[in-house]
Amino acid sequence: MLQVYLPVAEISVNLLVMLGLGAAIGFLSGMFGVGGGFLLTPLLMFSGIPPAIAVATGANQIVASSVSGALVQWRRGNIDFRMGLVLIIGGVVGALAGVLLVGLLSRLGHADVFISLVYVTFLGVIGSLMLVESVSAIRRTRAGQPARARKPGEHTWIHGLPFKVRFPRSRLYISAIPPLILGAIVGLLASILGVGGGFIVVPGMIYLLRMPTNVVIGTSLFQIIFVTAIVTILYAVLNHSLDILLALLLVIGGVIGGLFGADAGQRLKGEQLRLLLAVMVLAVAARLLIGLLVPPEDLYSLGRVVAGA
Amino acid sequence: MRSALLLALLAVAFLPGRQAVAAEPPRAEQVQSDVSTREISIQSNFTGIEIVLFGSIDFSRAPSLDEGPYDVIMVIRGPNRAIVVRRKERIAGLWMNGASKTFPSVPGYYAVLASRPFRAAAPEAVLTKLGIGFSNLDFGKTSEGETADDGFRASLIRLQQDHGLFQESDDAISFIGRSLFRGSVQLPVDVPIGRYTTQVFLFRNGKLLSQSQSSLQVEKVGAERMIYTLAFHYPFAYGLLAVLMAVSAGLLAWTVFRRE
Repeated sequence: MLQVYLPVAEISVNLLVMLGLGAAIGFLSGMFGVGGGFLLTPLLMFSGIPPAIAVATGANQIVASSVSGALVQWRRGNIDFRMGLVLIIGGVVGALAGVLLVGLLSRLGHADVFISLVYVTFLGVIGSLMLVESVSAIRRTRAGQPARARKPGEHTWIHGLPFKVRFPRSRLYISAIPPLILGAIVGLLASILGVGGGFIVVPGMIYLLRMPTNVVIGTSLFQIIFVTAIVTILYAVLNHSLDILLALLLVIGGVIGGLFGADAGQRLKGEQLRLLLAVMVLAVAARLLIGLLVPPEDLYSLGRVVAGA
Repeated sequence: MRSALLLALLAVAFLPGRQAVAAEPPRAEQVQSDVSTREISIQSNFTGIEIVLFGSIDFSRAPSLDEGPYDVIMVIRGPNRAIVVRRKERIAGLWMNGASKTFPSVPGYYAVLASRPFRAAAPEAVLTKLGIGFSNLDFGKTSEGETADDGFRASLIRLQQDHGLFQESDDAISFIGRSLFRGSVQLPVDVPIGRYTTQVFLFRNGKLLSQSQSSLQVEKVGAERMIYTLAFHYPFAYGLLAVLMAVSAGLLAWTVFRRE
């Protein structure tokens, strides 16, 4: 029972289900140290929330979890603010493009399929990579070999680009173009998928920008706050698809779940955590893919026509 | 000039008399009606609502209780809006929306209640004229160049019915005594907000005797209204508020639960 009417989504949802969903995502994000948006948005869509609302509201929820995460990292001095700022500038451009794209596709009636398709692609690729990586890491530790040390940074084509900027915290002197592009990609994904984009920006920082590992998580969380905040506001202004009441329920659940998740995460090994996460990511991708491939129960659907759009 | 004045005086003198003559034979039946709830408030606990429409037949000639010769049909309509109906098609192995048809003025809510199957109560021509029944609804002119498939109209009605937004219920009106009647109808959770009209038609032997109209207002109230107004009229402030809410929740979580 305990139905709650969502004023913008104009549907009634179960209070406990939404709090529980927020808590589950908070638990996972506390446990794995990820934003959890890539699980939250599909789960909202599975529970009957329209995709446009799920994406906007999901982005809003991530603001909360990334603020508390970034504060922890900030206290440890693990944020490269200058790099974060460059990523945010790129992120704003990407986010705007993404929100406009989703708005246009919504009016054409293709938003659902498009969001699902992008999700399937990204979750499929990332889940598979994580699965392979974590399984081989577990095998290596079983075989008694120590974890491989990463090779020190080498000069690549990235160092030949113009507009070089000094990033003292990361001890880098590189062109601003790669971080701007990386930021834009993250902004685009954040706005289309309602995610923070940590799963793209973290590997990007490590392998593309060659940032030191200790500042990667903090800087990623720092820029995610701003990118998801911008995505939230853009959706509110351009698509009217943000439901603050739903966001509030998810945030409350998320805060509580995050507390317990962090404890649980400390009891599991890194490789095991990554394997578990990979399996979940692939399960969500499979569920979305089935939705695209199986003939729908009802071929027809109704949509509202937005005046002036 | 003088003759015109005389005519006017004559007219004034005869007018009351004429009215009295018209009222002399047994007076025609008149229907009166109203709704139980004129203002429906959507609050956070809103899960839909049942409204009762009631009315009476003045000058009823029904011989006895529950044996009247009358048929009553009620029509409740919500505000019109444009709706696009889309049909999924398999494109490159994926099911996605293909052809679509836009209906410019679809009632956001539409219910027909009757004291017996309404198609038996009145001839089809009358029902068509009054817009009673799904098949007699006018959804406005669909734009040109779009497919002329009837499946879209049928699906629109079917989907609206599935949502409880379109209803046709025979035998939903019951008579109480010689002249009172009542009918109840369910408004589902996703009823559109706005002004609703209710029409009550009184028939005898397929002939329309009288009709009566009233209206009701469906509105969001309290916090729901505030949020809705903010979201649609001050979207920037609304988005900013949502972000501030999330930031303060994150700050709170950090201060309360930090272990350093």
